[in-house]
Amino acid sequence: MTIAELLAAVEAWPISAAMRGEQPGTEWLFPIIETLHVMALTLVVGSIAMMDLRLLGVASRNSAVSRLSNEVLPWTWTAWAVAAVFGTLMFMAKAQTYAGNLQFRLKFVCMGLAALNMLIFHFGAYRQVVRWDEGEPPMSAKTAGALSLLLWIGVVFFGRWVGFTT
Amino acid sequence: MFRPFADWLADTPLSKTLQDHAWVVPTSQSIHILAVSIVFGSACMVNLRLLGVGRSGRSISQLSNTVVPWMWRGLAALLFTGLVQTIAEPVRQFVTPMFWAKMAMILLVATLTALYATAVRRNAALWDAASSRPWPARIFAVLSTLLWLAIIVCGRFIGYTWSFYA
Repeated sequence: MTIAELLAAVEAWPISAAMRGEQPGTEWLFPIIETLHVMALTLVVGSIAMMDLRLLGVASRNSAVSRLSNEVLPWTWTAWAVAAVFGTLMFMAKAQTYAGNLQFRLKFVCMGLAALNMLIFHFGAYRQVVRWDEGEPPMSAKTAGALSLLLWIGVVFFGRWVGFTT
Repeated sequence: MFRPFADWLADTPLSKTLQDHAWVVPTSQSIHILAVSIVFGSACMVNLRLLGVGRSGRSISQLSNTVVPWMWRGLAALLFTGLVQTIAEPVRQFVTPMFWAKMAMILLVATLTALYATAVRRNAALWDAASSRPWPARIFAVLSTLLWLAIIVCGRFIGYTWSFYA
């Protein structure tokens, strides 16, 4: 089965048809799922921004980086999982269209790079967090914070743009 | 009642200029969502702590004093981008009951947040200890969370319902 065939098959599923509002009583399903996706994604971006701004030394300077991380990141992951589930449902409605959409692809490029950036930070600068936990993060941590902020802004922009280009 | 005003606004040179540039509304909406992330993310952090959910990092007063100023900055960005979107597409906004419900709820939640932030600043010790925390804390937390969720629903649904009223 090629990817094109897989996407076509996904679109043919009853749940995908329901997401397109093609089944009785499902006319409002897409807007409702989209609203839940927006609620979850704002929590993802809001919590990540809090972490990034701390790394950049802009906000929450009275809070240790590791403490803020423990406080915030469980919510980030939970909200991300929720956003991913609802996002997948939205994707299924028009899988072929979204897969071929430039903004949609760029959104996932940004998210992939954000994940890579997070891994590099976690296994790099963050391993010595005890040395700078209460104070000024090193340049590598600041860079990770700035990159993360920019990439997530990209995710939101391209995500919003998908709705205008499909 | 607001329709004549909306029609007049849509005909002004400023509105026409915004309408002529196709990137303005999507860009403004993207910034709007980023600002929602800051405001809603911050509100959830405070409210969850007031309800005793989540790990305790900072004290309530530390958290509020850090996060509430960011909520005002986010709200300023929301008002600005919201204004741009309203000038660009006045009819869409003014004919929808969702829009007016959203505005009323924003006024209410902003007032409640200002009252809460003032109370915490005046008497941090009282608010920091769960045993002495004034009883309205939990009511504020529940009300504020529900209001922000309803505001997001109304915001997203303006786009899906305005054509019924126009």
